[in-house]
Amino acid sequence: MADILLKVSGLHKSFGALLATNNFSLTLTRGHIHALIGPNGAGKTTVVNQLSGDMPVDSGTIQFHGRDITRLKSYQRARLGIARSFQITHIFENLTVAENMGLAICTGLGHNFRFWRNWQNAAAIKNELPLALERVDLLHRAELSARHLSHGEKRQLEVGMALIGKPELLILDEPMAGLGPGGTVELAKLIKKQKGQVTILLVEHDMDVVFSLADRVTVLVYGENVATGTPDEIRHNSVVRKAYLGEGE
Amino acid sequence: MTRKQITIGCGAIILILLPPAALLSGNPYLISLTSRIIIYALAAASLDLLLGYGAMISLGHAAFVGVGAYTIAILHFHSAGAEPLFSWPFLFAGSNNALLTLPLATLSASFAALIIGGLSLRTTGMHFIMITLAFAQMLYYFFISLEKYGGDDGLSLATRNSLVGLNLGNSSHFYYLCLAALFVFLILAHRLVNSRFGLVVRGAGNNDRRIKGLGIHSYRYKLVTFVIAGGSAGLAGALLANQTEFVSPGLMHWTLSGELMVMVLLGGLGTLFGPVLGATVFLALETTLAMYTEHWMIYMGPFLVLTVIFAKRGLFGFLAGDKGKNG
Repeated sequence: MADILLKVSGLHKSFGALLATNNFSLTLTRGHIHALIGPNGAGKTTVVNQLSGDMPVDSGTIQFHGRDITRLKSYQRARLGIARSFQITHIFENLTVAENMGLAICTGLGHNFRFWRNWQNAAAIKNELPLALERVDLLHRAELSARHLSHGEKRQLEVGMALIGKPELLILDEPMAGLGPGGTVELAKLIKKQKGQVTILLVEHDMDVVFSLADRVTVLVYGENVATGTPDEIRHNSVVRKAYLGEGE
Repeated sequence: MTRKQITIGCGAIILILLPPAALLSGNPYLISLTSRIIIYALAAASLDLLLGYGAMISLGHAAFVGVGAYTIAILHFHSAGAEPLFSWPFLFAGSNNALLTLPLATLSASFAALIIGGLSLRTTGMHFIMITLAFAQMLYYFFISLEKYGGDDGLSLATRNSLVGLNLGNSSHFYYLCLAALFVFLILAHRLVNSRFGLVVRGAGNNDRRIKGLGIHSYRYKLVTFVIAGGSAGLAGALLANQTEFVSPGLMHWTLSGELMVMVLLGGLGTLFGPVLGATVFLALETTLAMYTEHWMIYMGPFLVLTVIFAKRGLFGFLAGDKGKNG
């Protein structure tokens, strides 16, 4: 298939005696939202860290666009178009929302040794900033200090910053963690809005979100891919029900 | 007009009109006191670039003031004496011309900042505080050991520097030179912190790991900021040497670094204009309280503590409102 963006095969990772990732394989189709679910300690974040390059793999291969990126460092993968967000919110609390987003845009401009002109007047900022803020529904919050945002809005901002530079693959590591119901709905809407423009690997706990957003779902148990399919298939998969959804025998 | 603009405008007008007002009202000593305030304000505002924007807690800022001041004194020493400063690759007898000495003082302080910053910025947090302090104390003892330039006793200047068109011996003329230096610095620094460069520095000050995660090598940006702040402190030192016509290693002592830090905190961290206010209040209080008691710090201490606790962005934030930040 020509539309395969990311192909992971036979991934292994162990920490001492603990096999955190066990023969894990995954295929991401371009434009899809692909969810990665699994019980606590299943090794979801370990997989994500290996995909983003934040953690070296023991064995196995990762192909992006058919190119082997297994040995590339995280910043090299970022340049190829893989962006990620973290489980813990990672923004500049003391800067305004616009400045946060502006910094993300500045990153793509080469060096920033520009001392005189106000950063908001730089051509790239003028072009991109309003759109970037609009994309994550934060335009009305632009001048607010980021620390005054609600937890959900901070996540929106973080996703927005990850979307700068038009990544092809966006890895979201538990974006809903710690959000109230309102925040979850908002963020889910936002993720849905990106559908088709960017391929998303969504690591998530919240089942309702996963089943409403994802095109494909992969279930991870003890570092192993036990099932992959459409949300419907997963819901009715007996192995999954037993291992994960807590169906009693 | 915002409250902040009104505050800054009023401050500028007061500073510009002060010399004639002081002369008319028969208080000429106010001119030299305010010159001193302006010079300290320049040093404190340059420190604010480090503290308030880059979160680089430097406890060695006085070192650059000292380097600037000694540059003036040494150039003067050689221009007045028989012995040239150096005779190779060309003969240089020292200078007393402000057009040459002030830029040279700024340059040598920048160079010192490049070396000290280049090494110190490889550390963060408490280590950074301690290493900047250590470098400043090293320079302090170095200049004590320089017997040729007065050692412990310091070095006196016979006259102030000369500058075409102005008579720096005249307190009003000198006052306006200092004020011009402060204004130019504030304008440049204001542009700087709001530029793309400034945005990166503020980001690094706020969350250095995140800025690195974005792929920005923050070290270089911080180093350039450190050099700019050091050079500006050197200019302040050069003006200070001219004002007092005397330099001593005491200018590099950590207590002066501490005083500058107090001025920044008092006036408002990360406000640029705040340190000007901080320097004014600090020196005015020092001068008045010292008339009554030798132990004026007993009153200054609690005042500082109360300001830091109750005025969120220092005295400047108190006057200018919440929008006080970013110059």
